[in-house]
Amino acid sequence: MEIDIRELETYQELAHDGAQSAAQSLAQLTGIETRVQVTDVSLMSPQSLSYEFIGDEFAGVNIDLSGEMAGEVVLAFDEQGRRAITETLVPADDPEKKKSSIEEVGNIMTSGFVDGWANYLEAKIKSSPPTYIQGTGPDILPTSASEGDTHLFVFRSRVEASKDAVNEPIDFRILLVPDADSLERSLEPQTENIISLEKLEVFNEMTMEGAEKAATNITSMTGIETTVNVSRLSLIPIADIPTEVGNKRYVGTVMEFEGKLGGYLVILFDQPSGRAVVDSLVPMETDEQWGSTEQGALQELGNIMTSGFVDGWANVLNAEIKHSPPEFVADTGASILRPITTEIAKSDDHAFMLDSNIQTDSDQVFTCQMLALPHRDELEQALDDLLLENAQNTTVDPDDLF
Amino acid sequence: MDVLITDDSGFMRDLLREILEEDHTIVGEAENGVEAVELYQEEQPDIVFMDIVMPIKDGIEATDEITDMDGSAKVVMCTSVEQAEQMKDSIKAGAEGYITKPFQKESVLEELNSIAAE
Repeated sequence: MEIDIRELETYQELAHDGAQSAAQSLAQLTGIETRVQVTDVSLMSPQSLSYEFIGDEFAGVNIDLSGEMAGEVVLAFDEQGRRAITETLVPADDPEKKKSSIEEVGNIMTSGFVDGWANYLEAKIKSSPPTYIQGTGPDILPTSASEGDTHLFVFRSRVEASKDAVNEPIDFRILLVPDADSLERSLEPQTENIISLEKLEVFNEMTMEGAEKAATNITSMTGIETTVNVSRLSLIPIADIPTEVGNKRYVGTVMEFEGKLGGYLVILFDQPSGRAVVDSLVPMETDEQWGSTEQGALQELGNIMTSGFVDGWANVLNAEIKHSPPEFVADTGASILRPITTEIAKSDDHAFMLDSNIQTDSDQVFTCQMLALPHRDELEQALDDLLLENAQNTTVDPDDLF
Repeated sequence: MDVLITDDSGFMRDLLREILEEDHTIVGEAENGVEAVELYQEEQPDIVFMDIVMPIKDGIEATDEITDMDGSAKVVMCTSVEQAEQMKDSIKAGAEGYITKPFQKESVLEELNSIAAE
């Protein structure tokens, strides 16, 4: 199936407007102030999608869509959000009414989300009555996302909100998973910017393998057992990328890669994870938190992780992808990404972002995020040249050549 | 054997030195390709361990220059890069061995001994 990238951009913008409309509905109903953080369209596995809802209890609604755009919408509030809505709308201690208030708010917000699509398509999109959902991880996933392991196209919006200045921020997510027929119909090629969905899926799988290799390299070098929890390929407005990464402080490395496929790779460890990695690589006390020894250790780890990540692409494309020596960075995620997004925004307004999260299954707190931002024209050309029959050739044994 | 280590990472140079210096002599450490070529001329080591991704001059270019200067030079690439095309470029430049990072002590010594035996 071939899809039109420009149409995909249009739908991403519609999803963003829809999320804003949904957020305004929430503000009108409850007085909760809202701000749409980011909306992207991602290609991801159901397993990766379920990690969207790990770590907190969510409550919300699942609504089936039919008509010109068929599929499922999930709108889910985190626990602070659920409490803020139910306490505002149903002050009495009545669990059933509180649940009903979530259903109604979800229903109204979902209408706001999909109406823009219907108007754009000049067609009807019908919504089913809302089904209340509550839980964590896979409990919140759209039904279509919990069947099989086919990669899904998902429109994801994250909205931050607060009830008043003293309350904790509220987080709510809107996911739209269109069904295959709707997707094909909507993204039918209209311009010359065509991309094969199969090749996009293969590239996403190669990236997952690359992230797994990078995770294995972390384990080999540090002894910290790691695993890849999320790997997705997203089309995202470039201006939203710093917001997507957020204002948490990170340490890590930035590399530029070039050749058949060029772009940037950013490896970010949260501060405790960066410290844990450095402590295992450089087992001696130093006076500085991020002195030259620590920076050198992280740069070398970044170097090895980058090779693990991009070498699979190069081998499948039968080409060279060279990367620069890593540059050490220590700042907020948004500040680290801003110079890169400023550079790539000179030639485009949307970017493909490959986002992999590496974590540990043990009690040890460890998170590492790898973000690749390939130059869009080169990625589109590389996908065009990609031979699906080569897709398995990600690795090569030096002994076969030397 | 006299060994020249080339890697832009001090951390990695220390690691290689630790593995090699028990049985061999480290005649120099270079941080980039330019330094590697200069040190090779000065020290004439028996073997060079050469990283690929380095600033100023990368390891494949440096290997090319060293083997052009000395047809009997023995260079082992020691790198995180696992791309077929860059391995082929390393062979063209004259490298005789290829170790991928992260490596085990045994694989480094095995490669060194195998090249020394040739």
